[in-house]
Amino acid sequence: MLQINNLHANVGDKPILKGLTLSLNAGEIHAIMGPNGAGKSTLGYVLSGRPGYEVTEGSVTFNGQDLLALEPHERAAAGLFLGFQYPVEIPGVSNVQFLREALNAQRKYRGEAPLTGGEFLKVAREQAGALGMDMEMLKRPVNVGFSGGEKKRNEMVQMGIIDPALAILDETDSGLDIDALRTVGDGINRIMRKPDKAVLLITHYQRLLDYVKPDFVHVLDGGRITRTGGADLALELERDGYKELAA
Amino acid sequence: MTVLPTRHDEAWRYSDIDALARAWPLPAPESIIVPAGGTFARTIIQDSGTIHQLDIAIGKGATAAIHVLNTGGDYGRVELNVTLHEGADFKLGAVQIGGGTQTLEVITTVTHAEPGATSSQIVRSVLAGTATGTYLGKVAVARDAQQTDSVQSVKAMLLDRSATANAKPELEIYADDVKCAHGCAIGELDAMGLFYLQARGITPAEAKKLMLQAFVAGVFEGAADEAMLIEAALAKLGDLV
Amino acid sequence: MTDDIEIKDKAAWDAAEKVADYEHGWSSDIETDFAPKGLNEDTVRFISAKKNEPEWMLEWRLKAFAMWKTMEAPDWAKLNVPPIDYQDAYYYAAPKAKPKLNSLDEVDPEILRVYEKLGIPIAEQKLLAGVEGGEDGGLPQRRVAVDAVFDSVSVATTFRAELERAGVIFRSISEAIKEYPDLVRKYLGKIVPMHDNYFATLNCAVFSDGTFVYIPEGVRCPMELSTYFRINAENTGQFERTLIVADKGSYVSYLEGCTAPMRDENQLHAAVVELVALDDAEIKYSTVQNWYPGDAEGKGGIYNFVTKRALCQGRNSKVSWTQVETGSAVTWKYPSCVLNGENSVGEFYSVAVTNNHQQADTGTKMIHNGKGSRSTIVSKGISAGHSNNTYRGLVRVAPNAEGVRNFTQCDSLLLGSLSGAHTVPYIEVRNPSAQIEHEATTSKISDDQMFYAMARGLNAEEAVALIVNGFAKEVLQQLPMEFAVEAQKLLGISLEGSVG
Repeated sequence: MLQINNLHANVGDKPILKGLTLSLNAGEIHAIMGPNGAGKSTLGYVLSGRPGYEVTEGSVTFNGQDLLALEPHERAAAGLFLGFQYPVEIPGVSNVQFLREALNAQRKYRGEAPLTGGEFLKVAREQAGALGMDMEMLKRPVNVGFSGGEKKRNEMVQMGIIDPALAILDETDSGLDIDALRTVGDGINRIMRKPDKAVLLITHYQRLLDYVKPDFVHVLDGGRITRTGGADLALELERDGYKELAA
Repeated sequence: MTVLPTRHDEAWRYSDIDALARAWPLPAPESIIVPAGGTFARTIIQDSGTIHQLDIAIGKGATAAIHVLNTGGDYGRVELNVTLHEGADFKLGAVQIGGGTQTLEVITTVTHAEPGATSSQIVRSVLAGTATGTYLGKVAVARDAQQTDSVQSVKAMLLDRSATANAKPELEIYADDVKCAHGCAIGELDAMGLFYLQARGITPAEAKKLMLQAFVAGVFEGAADEAMLIEAALAKLGDLV
Repeated sequence: MTDDIEIKDKAAWDAAEKVADYEHGWSSDIETDFAPKGLNEDTVRFISAKKNEPEWMLEWRLKAFAMWKTMEAPDWAKLNVPPIDYQDAYYYAAPKAKPKLNSLDEVDPEILRVYEKLGIPIAEQKLLAGVEGGEDGGLPQRRVAVDAVFDSVSVATTFRAELERAGVIFRSISEAIKEYPDLVRKYLGKIVPMHDNYFATLNCAVFSDGTFVYIPEGVRCPMELSTYFRINAENTGQFERTLIVADKGSYVSYLEGCTAPMRDENQLHAAVVELVALDDAEIKYSTVQNWYPGDAEGKGGIYNFVTKRALCQGRNSKVSWTQVETGSAVTWKYPSCVLNGENSVGEFYSVAVTNNHQQADTGTKMIHNGKGSRSTIVSKGISAGHSNNTYRGLVRVAPNAEGVRNFTQCDSLLLGSLSGAHTVPYIEVRNPSAQIEHEATTSKISDDQMFYAMARGLNAEEAVALIVNGFAKEVLQQLPMEFAVEAQKLLGISLEGSVG
């Protein structure tokens, strides 16, 4: 589904990714772990096309398409979803309006008919309910006044409504208490653990992986993948730390 | 005023004087007196390049609310001269949206002449092309107009280089027990917000429009014809983006 | 006395010292050389001749004088200034030369006390009073080089030899015109053009003295530089001119202090200050303005019409203006930054206190022409008595200046219900990438605050001084430390009598 080959990327003038190669197949869940500053968030931003993140070398294909040639909204329409580490507040725009516009823009891009207001609300209610989110919150402006945990939960509701093929979830576990962590973990499994979907979990800690069991764990350090293993690798990292591993 | 003003006149310093000359001399300002305890509301839609001048005296305990959508013509100007008596309240919500070579301006002089009056002005400008949008907003608090409470929020957004936003949020205060808070911000759309919208599949133009819509939203809150004003504002925004 | 202190005019020095021998609000009867009263071309020639100026300088002055005659005084400020009779003043006054020199090492403790009350730092005091820092082991380590301007002439410039070893030129402007004509001509009138405004043009014609500073490339000026301005003679205008050039990668911190005696007549002060910062250079310019403000009934006091402007010409150049304005009957002053350099920085930190019948209309202009240029404006206005205090500012962003940032905070504090506090900001933006923020608030000292402070043992005046200092803290913090301490005291002194 996703092939990343020798990816180099700069933020400003500073090289962050330095030859990253990674391949994800449909039906797989991958976790990327690594110390602070390894380039984990940069990878998420580069894949989703954030301005200011410049690819200097390498390629990324997504279902056979050149991902890097697409605009951010085209990547979303092609089925890529980025769960933000810090979801952005947009005063004045309600969640409902935002999501409906987003979903219908993606459907339009794919040549599908837009959802009516009723159809959309049905999907929204379903997903919000599954993640224990009050419909009233969906009527409020996007992320404005939400707690850290509520923002992350909102990201999952969005993922459920948009139903992407590939989700890149950047530190989705940060800021969550244990109950919220379970809810979010269950959400990821329910929405994304399917034979035609894939997930790239970007995380610093092992704890989310107790709920979402990865098929592969990669260590990202110094802008490239330094080690790959199974779910056990995450436990090893948790026990020994990244320093030990680097030595 | 009988002589055509020049840009040396403070109230006309950013005006399109040539356009003004064509409309000169102006008729006397419309005079509105809101009696004690009364209420007054008016919506001004300036969509054809005209100059609106209103003098509003708000009596004791009375309220007045003005909503302005300033969008049309080469030169459009809405000028309000408001005097508040004891315990009166004045609210202004104004949006101006300009493109091309338009010059749009809203000028307010709000005088708290007596104690205990409250006023608020919320003004949002969106400017594209080489348009000029100006807000000159003066709040004057007379000697002894204690317990005045005045807030002003002024924001402008430029969509193109060479569009111009001017603002003059002015305070003239002669009483000590007053609360006056003015805020003014001029900038561009939040880049991270735009990216977030696009990462959810919204096209750049739609994302921009959505953000601008949010930018002007709320200004028309409480207007009798709120829905119509929002729709008209969105239509004009759609033309610019 | 060491050779580091250069007394150019012993009699003037003596006079400067003598004048300090009065209580706060003193006056003194120094024998003085005046130019004939009034203003005409001959006055201009007289001043130029007194200073043995080169021909080009005289021509420049005469051109300015001709221009000035065609101009009108600006009337846009929120100031009520009676018409000024420019013919009823002296445009040049210098302490008369005396044959006998006084000893410089006898410092009257009373003089120290007076200086202290005025807010001049201790080290500078001793220098001014004639004791050079290096000789007295008890003095603070930090040294300040001083140019003392008394009426129309510079009477002493200290630490010259040491500064020269670092390559720093620190001179009265009259000397610089003669010694460094090329450097002076290159910049004089280039930042504030001759035609800039009525008072600046007048200054071009009749400026008497002032300070010239040049910091060469890569040099961090080894000590703070300071000018102490004093108007003493009656009916005399002071028109000083300051020019500071910071070459690439250099740094200088400059302090300016001013006082004048108590007089019934209004005296005119119209200065021009020009600063230039080249690539990576930084100038920090601090002012404590304590000209005589007039009496409680509004009689007398200095009319202070000052044009101060900095040109941040170089990449990453920075100019920071800090002012504490407590004096003068009328203040008309807008220290500004023209930010031409890419990523250049302009700052304006101001505390303006007005009491009794004082009027101040002061603020800044930040003109953003350079990409990535940034500015910060923090203005704290305090109005008491029957005074009026106006902040007037301009933030302008040119169409080609990408990525400009400005933050402006204007706070007014009113003490009593007979004063006025005004805020007149102009914001003009032509580039979409600019981020401009302006915030303004008006408040008074709450009864709760007063009660709390007084319940802890402060009297009403002390409580006000405490709260006002808290209000102005952000600005006072920008001052060099010794200055900040004195400025704090000055705020308290200025507000004496403002609470019942």
